[in-house]
Amino acid sequence: MMNAIVINHLRRVYRATIGVIRRSIKEVVAVDDISFEIGEGELFGLLGPNGAGKTTTVKVLATLLIPNSGSVSILGFDIVKDANEVRKRIGFIFGGERGLYWRLSGIDNLRYFASLYHVDPDVAKKRIPYLLELVGLKDRGNERAEGYSRGMKQRLHVARTLLHDPGILFLDEPTIGLDPVGAREFRQVILDLQSENKTILLTTHYMFEADSLCQRIAIIDQGRIVALDTPAGLKKHVSDLSVIEVEIYGAPQQVIDGLRALSFVDSLSVEERDQRQMLLVQTPRGAEAVPDVMSALNGQRIGRVIVREPTLEDAYVRLVGGKV
Amino acid sequence: MNFKNLFIYWRTVLMVAEMTIRQQLNDGFVIFTILLQPMIIAILGLYMLKDKGPQYAMFVVVGSGLTGLWSSLLFISGNSISWERWGGMLEALVGVPTPFEVIVFGKNLANVIQSLLSMIVAYIFAALFFGYSLNIDQPFLFILSLVLSVFAFISFGLTIAPVFVMYRGVQQWQNAMEFPIYILAGFLFPIALLPNWTTPISYFLPPYWAARALHGTSTAGASLEQTLLAWGMMIVFSIIDLFIASWLFKVMLYKARVDATLNTE
Repeated sequence: MMNAIVINHLRRVYRATIGVIRRSIKEVVAVDDISFEIGEGELFGLLGPNGAGKTTTVKVLATLLIPNSGSVSILGFDIVKDANEVRKRIGFIFGGERGLYWRLSGIDNLRYFASLYHVDPDVAKKRIPYLLELVGLKDRGNERAEGYSRGMKQRLHVARTLLHDPGILFLDEPTIGLDPVGAREFRQVILDLQSENKTILLTTHYMFEADSLCQRIAIIDQGRIVALDTPAGLKKHVSDLSVIEVEIYGAPQQVIDGLRALSFVDSLSVEERDQRQMLLVQTPRGAEAVPDVMSALNGQRIGRVIVREPTLEDAYVRLVGGKV
Repeated sequence: MNFKNLFIYWRTVLMVAEMTIRQQLNDGFVIFTILLQPMIIAILGLYMLKDKGPQYAMFVVVGSGLTGLWSSLLFISGNSISWERWGGMLEALVGVPTPFEVIVFGKNLANVIQSLLSMIVAYIFAALFFGYSLNIDQPFLFILSLVLSVFAFISFGLTIAPVFVMYRGVQQWQNAMEFPIYILAGFLFPIALLPNWTTPISYFLPPYWAARALHGTSTAGASLEQTLLAWGMMIVFSIIDLFIASWLFKVMLYKARVDATLNTE
């Protein structure tokens, strides 16, 4: 498999001026010396907590940000020197509803971008109805985009991205904010695109999404790649552990911190669910550790307790140190 | 740039202009700037000069149209890049293979075409409500002057938009730049009425040469030499503006990609 994307020691720093009278420049390292390759036709996932550097990486690849150092080549073109050649060959979607003209209809948005991507008008005339059908907007194309639901806007983004039939797609959290049915439909669109041998870089927060779609996944934290492997390979990072899930109601922080400090607890993450919290305790002791966990939570109101095998999410939690 | 690229870019310019007009037809601020404000100026001008005869009425019609052109250039074209940024569209537009200045050229073309409507509205207004029979002195030369003026205004607008994005201090003076140009460019009365020291300033303003060509061919009975001089100056200024704009766009986009300011999030 040839490499479609080669990232070499990429580093990107943001500078912000702070203070009014005594002004100083604060530097934030968003991407810190990352290197990896993505093969042609590969569906590659980039996972990481908020602020880890996922979107910055995608924006550098999409020629929208200039790196401070390092290099990126896409199909042999340098993203800084040959930005225009790169732009002809890529498509990108950033999560959210922006990036469309709301006062224009879906069809007019596509006509507009087809022209900006130099698609011949005769080709665009055939391609636009095909793409609208592909993303399930065939009957809504003449309506203004402002009347579309979030999922419909997201699907119109996909159609816009495919107008010039790019070989490489960057999808930055494309399912964020979609309802479960919309997200499932969207994932099917991603799989369909991959079956057309498109190279796809997908960033997402949703582990099951990455697990079910991606051939390889890089986990990025604080601007650095902390792991890069197949989903099965990543799960091996936690094959020595079991996960104890404890449903608990309003546990104070010091109780959680006390549990985290116990020697048999490898890592602990907390998911807030309405009035409840779900404690995810990773431990090498498996079910044997349950009585000790219970005694550490003594006096708290406890719901269900489950011991299970680790998933990709557990591997991720271990690798990024409990940040979800 | 080869001929094929030029053709593709021109097709894109027309598409951008079409979509810009479709969107702006729903925008109250745009309707005010290109239609209502020039009409108000035309009514005031026609009342003030109602005893001066039909030639002055034509002067007012052309002059109020020019005010619409300048205001739309200053506010709508000048803010076009900032509006795309605030609307979350700038990244999508910069990330396409079409040069960004081609896109802004199309937007300016749309604004200028819409602004010409204000001249037509003022013309109809003067004819219907004030009863003037309005004749254009040299119709063929007037139309050519109009085409060159459109090009000069678009080119000038291309230099303004990136300056407003890069130097926000300049943009703060946007409102203050509207009326002085009406006066210094001779939109509503000849610059001969102004103090002599202002004349060199007028000569450096492309809108002045546009106003001189349009007024000269519509009412003032300009000689062919005078009209050719105005055309020549418009062409020279347009070429200079396009070169400056091309450099400004390169600097602005590079800076935005370094400073991460293509979006507001």
